[in-house]
Amino acid sequence: MQILGKKNATPERSVNVRAWLRALHRDAGYLAVGLTVVYALSGLAVNHIKDWDPNFTQVKRTHQLHGPFPADERAAAAKALAELEVATPPEDVYRVSDSEIEIVTGQVTFHLNPESGVVNEEGQQPRFLLRTANWLHLNRGKKAWSYIADGYAVFLLFLASSGLFMIRGRRGLFGRGAVLAMLGAALPILYVVLSGGP
Amino acid sequence: MTDPPEDRAHLERLIARRQFIREAASGTLIAALGGGLYALSDQLTREAQAAERKDGRPRLPPGQRVLSALRPMGGAEGDPRKSQFRLRVHGEVEQPFELDFRQLLALPQTTQTCDVHCVTSWSVLDATFSGVQVRTLAERAKVKPTARHVVFEAAHGYTSNVRLAEALAPNVLVTHSLGGEALERTHGGPVRALVPDLYFWKSAKWLTGVRFVAKDEPGYWETRGYHNHADPWKEERYA
Repeated sequence: MQILGKKNATPERSVNVRAWLRALHRDAGYLAVGLTVVYALSGLAVNHIKDWDPNFTQVKRTHQLHGPFPADERAAAAKALAELEVATPPEDVYRVSDSEIEIVTGQVTFHLNPESGVVNEEGQQPRFLLRTANWLHLNRGKKAWSYIADGYAVFLLFLASSGLFMIRGRRGLFGRGAVLAMLGAALPILYVVLSGGP
Repeated sequence: MTDPPEDRAHLERLIARRQFIREAASGTLIAALGGGLYALSDQLTREAQAAERKDGRPRLPPGQRVLSALRPMGGAEGDPRKSQFRLRVHGEVEQPFELDFRQLLALPQTTQTCDVHCVTSWSVLDATFSGVQVRTLAERAKVKPTARHVVFEAAHGYTSNVRLAEALAPNVLVTHSLGGEALERTHGGPVRALVPDLYFWKSAKWLTGVRFVAKDEPGYWETRGYHNHADPWKEERYA
């Protein structure tokens, strides 16, 4: 049986800061995965809002129906919806003019021209995942989500700062790490300088 | 003489890393070239940049690119039912009034073809809108001489502010149709404002009111860091 002397006991009591950092960094990383995916996907989607609608897919179709249509707008709407095989009952039917009856069903509106039988269908369908991610990202839910988003920001700060000190030596902060960290910091600085800033 | 196995493994790792960096750099370069080619091939934008408006300004404001159709830009949608539409014209006026959709259609109608410019840097050329000039509403309401600005009021408390002289320009409308068809709900239907010579956020969607005010009242985006005036030719995007 080995009897531990004073010399052997010292390393067991010492705190290995880097090992703790690595462990905390790893666990914080695991915790941050879900929110990072939400914020990253939503960020990409919202950044390119000028190219597409990240929340909805647009519906726009034209149909040619067979008339004649009843003079009563509700009856005309019922006939049009039946021909279009729309089972949803209309929320609203409104005769805008002789050439337009507006039929609203949830997310979709039909503009029926009872004279020509042409129906313009327009509306939108939500993109379930992205709309939810954007809702979270843009903090449209407010209230409690602010605390979660704040906590996530603190996590990211910890991940960034702990990452600096996890590795020692030439691949750490006194070698490759310093070069890459400076490159990363240079990006926003250069952008602000070259673009003229706010 | 052969290298020890550890040195050999280290060398292989180094070579693999260099190869990865080379390939990543090549991929980035190709992607950048692709983006450059895409930008160069934007024929609509180049033609618009070369054209000029009647007032002497370039047809395409700086920093804009041309799209072929309006892009839905989101926002909290208002009630899309024309049967429920009401437009309140009020504020610094002698005769405030309210219109339903049919009454709006009964007013003198204007159809115009114009360009619109979104602050997110897209523009659409030759969009044909129909509606009622704001100046017609102002005449009917008898705007008081104290009025200096117009606040467009929309669903869920959205507002945008426009200087009175600009709001009374003949191309500023309360519009209900685009391209000869009913204005789509995603574009602000049944009725939105149209102020073509300012960034498009001034053209409030799902319009509910036109309010004349003596003192300027910055609107939804104007109080969130966007420019109070929003002239696209001066790139007045942000405050």
